[in-house]
Amino acid sequence: MSSDDKGKISRRDFFRGAAMGALGGTALAMGLYSYSPWRKAHLPKIERKMADIGVCKNIKVTNISETSWFSNADLMGDIKGAGGLLVNQYSYNWPPFGDGTGLGKGSYDKGIAKIKHLLPHDLDEAWAITEKLSMHPENAGGFACLIELEDMQGRQHKYLLDSGWSFKWMDECFQREGIDQMLRDREIEALFISHEHFDHFWGIPVTYKYDPTITTYVPDGFYPEGIKFLKDSGHKGQVVTVKPGLNPVVPGFASFVFAIPIICRVYGEQSLYFNVKDLGLVSVTGCCHQSIIQFAETAYQEIQYEKDQLYGVYGGLHISPFEDWDPKYDDLVLSLGKYGFQKIGCNHCTGILCAKKFVEAGYPVVKGTARHRSKETVYLGNGDQIGFGIEV
Amino acid sequence: MERFGAGYLEERKLVPRWPQPIPAIVALVLTLAIFYASWWIFQDPRGWMRMYTPYVGYMYTRWWLIMLIWMVYIFNYWPFKRSWLQKSHPLLKGAVLTLISVAILYVLIKGFFETLLGNFGLAYFNPDQLMRLPGITEFFAIEYAALACLMFAAIASWLSPAWVVACEEVPWQGMKQPGKGISILVMTFFLSTLVYFMTMHSHMGILYYPWQYFTSIAPPYWERFADTVSGNFHVSWIMCCTVTVWMVETIWERFPFKLIKTGWRRRIVAFFGIIAIAFALHFFLYFAQELTWGGAIRGTRRDAAPDWRWLHVGEMAVFWLVPALFLNFYCNNWPKRFSLPVNVLVRTVITIAAAALLYIFYYATSHVFLGTQKGFSHPQQFPMIPTIWLINIWLAHHWFMDNWPAWKMVPKTADEMAEEQALEQAQIDEIRWSPSLGWGVGAGVACGILIYFVAVGVLPWVYDTITIIR
Repeated sequence: MSSDDKGKISRRDFFRGAAMGALGGTALAMGLYSYSPWRKAHLPKIERKMADIGVCKNIKVTNISETSWFSNADLMGDIKGAGGLLVNQYSYNWPPFGDGTGLGKGSYDKGIAKIKHLLPHDLDEAWAITEKLSMHPENAGGFACLIELEDMQGRQHKYLLDSGWSFKWMDECFQREGIDQMLRDREIEALFISHEHFDHFWGIPVTYKYDPTITTYVPDGFYPEGIKFLKDSGHKGQVVTVKPGLNPVVPGFASFVFAIPIICRVYGEQSLYFNVKDLGLVSVTGCCHQSIIQFAETAYQEIQYEKDQLYGVYGGLHISPFEDWDPKYDDLVLSLGKYGFQKIGCNHCTGILCAKKFVEAGYPVVKGTARHRSKETVYLGNGDQIGFGIEV
Repeated sequence: MERFGAGYLEERKLVPRWPQPIPAIVALVLTLAIFYASWWIFQDPRGWMRMYTPYVGYMYTRWWLIMLIWMVYIFNYWPFKRSWLQKSHPLLKGAVLTLISVAILYVLIKGFFETLLGNFGLAYFNPDQLMRLPGITEFFAIEYAALACLMFAAIASWLSPAWVVACEEVPWQGMKQPGKGISILVMTFFLSTLVYFMTMHSHMGILYYPWQYFTSIAPPYWERFADTVSGNFHVSWIMCCTVTVWMVETIWERFPFKLIKTGWRRRIVAFFGIIAIAFALHFFLYFAQELTWGGAIRGTRRDAAPDWRWLHVGEMAVFWLVPALFLNFYCNNWPKRFSLPVNVLVRTVITIAAAALLYIFYYATSHVFLGTQKGFSHPQQFPMIPTIWLINIWLAHHWFMDNWPAWKMVPKTADEMAEEQALEQAQIDEIRWSPSLGWGVGAGVACGILIYFVAVGVLPWVYDTITIIR
């Protein structure tokens, strides 16, 4: 007989009921409230920091190379053979770290040992050696661009974003665009490495061949191999490791590091913001693994810019680099329009397929000339230029 | 009459060879060692076969889970005889049954999905068919096909056990094997196919350029509600269904549904109740991410993207399943000393706390020992692969090997069976309506709602306080 029968509360029954009620009540609240419009009251309000990075008159970007590799099939075949997209890039046995042991069996130490003594001055010989020891050396290209900024006093500042991959290809590209001479003449103030990926970073000896003292900014998160490669490439200048967040460089120019994991065992990406007088913000990216929308949202939250306008974009947007697709990329294509970019100079890992979808969506994508092994005119190719606040 | 495996799990008694916690520790150490060795052989991006591409390894992991469920829950170990199950050494049993599960797995993937379905139904199940698409690489052809297969697996991993746990095998519960198994298999496969077409096919349809408007609904119908066109929205609630089914079956002992006395009503309430609880979990875990990382931003990537956050809901739910199964398999579903609802509540609280610790431990260290990349939202990284891989090993160890070596299997006697059933019935009977119970339920509901809002208030602070990834 329970104590209820005597008009008293049964402790055991009460606790049984309380346990059932607690589970049910929690589940009920979870189900009814968690995705309701009322939940938005709990979310942190976005407070714009409005950091002042100054303003510049204009910038011009020269595409030194956007063709990081020439055959998707060969690149993805190697990635597949080595074990997929999470495998450490230094073990692929790609140049310049080939050691002759085959796909997925290499390492930085074994690879660099073959060519270290030749860096950075005898790159032809170094490449000749690594070509014989590496997987698909002919497929290596690289990403790099030259940024020319005119400040409000009319002075020119030049910066390199990335240094590509293949020594051979990048040297040809540097010579084609006159970068070699600019480096020799110390006209280029700094090299910004967007991230540690092979196609942006492994060609760094080509930059150091012409200017081994150039100040180099790398994002925080480089693996030990990458840090060693900076030294092993013969660099004698300053290396600045940029912590996550905003890093003002000169008035109108700041870099921003995103602490994010990236395929092929890479961590962290550095992208560039330029605040162009009377136009708005221009974003220049290597691969933009954080996504262009995250980059735009971060700009909105972190810095103030002219006319509160996100004006332009240049670089890889990392959407369909291997001409692959995923519905989440459609989310990006569908959403990009509301950010109001006026001039989109995308290429490289944006993917040709994505650029076509951008054009179909009516976005202002700047066409290219498809020269120097760039495949299509749908976006800016090798040797093409784009100006923001200046005609090119 | 010769008996097969039906009722084997219920009729076996696992006797620990040593006092707790020694058996639980031995089981944990042993299974983790097997996990790590097999991870290195099959999955690790630094290891031997490197199946973590990621989708290929992910697909095999998920389908292997279903093979284990099919063999034990649907086919009740058929065609193995009871005497063989009882007398064989656990190592031999484990080896034979595991190899069979892998063989069926291989035939299913290569034979059913790639060859049959991929050649005569939906091209995207067969990488060779996909290779005919202009510009596609072999790598992504294989990955896309594996993605389709594993999305199917997500649904099957919910519906296959749900038909046993919630629907109690009706209407085939009295049928002999293999008839019963085949009937349930056909039924759950049919339902999985229906759910697949309504939840995942549109995801696959917009994977190709241009969108396949005439073969799938594009953009998908859930776009506005879920803030994404990605099928991860469905992966999320379906994974929550899978986790909830196993919560109900293990640490909840089919509570609260077993309190319903009328069979048909109990089964219907259980089937849809599991879905309702799963949706509560699905919405809450998404909200938890908004509370810690801020509102989602459509079109972005990584931890701010709605599609990734929905996927992460499923991942977080599986983090909860891991301690729940451990508690059930190796800790004898501790505690058992209180009334059924209090036991269930205590186990739920313990497993949630353990899941939070596991989550922190995983993201703080997995990149060191699993060959994965550090960070929450690597686009090619799925914590469901290692967690389900570990669960698979536990299932094989618990179902095929009777928790050997820390436990010994002895068949229960008829008296023990009767005593157990009487105890279970008594636990159910003692929960009957009374004013005290009513007051308790009322107070409990109020506390539950309060707990929810306290959790909502505290979560951002907790997340800010703990540095998970350095």
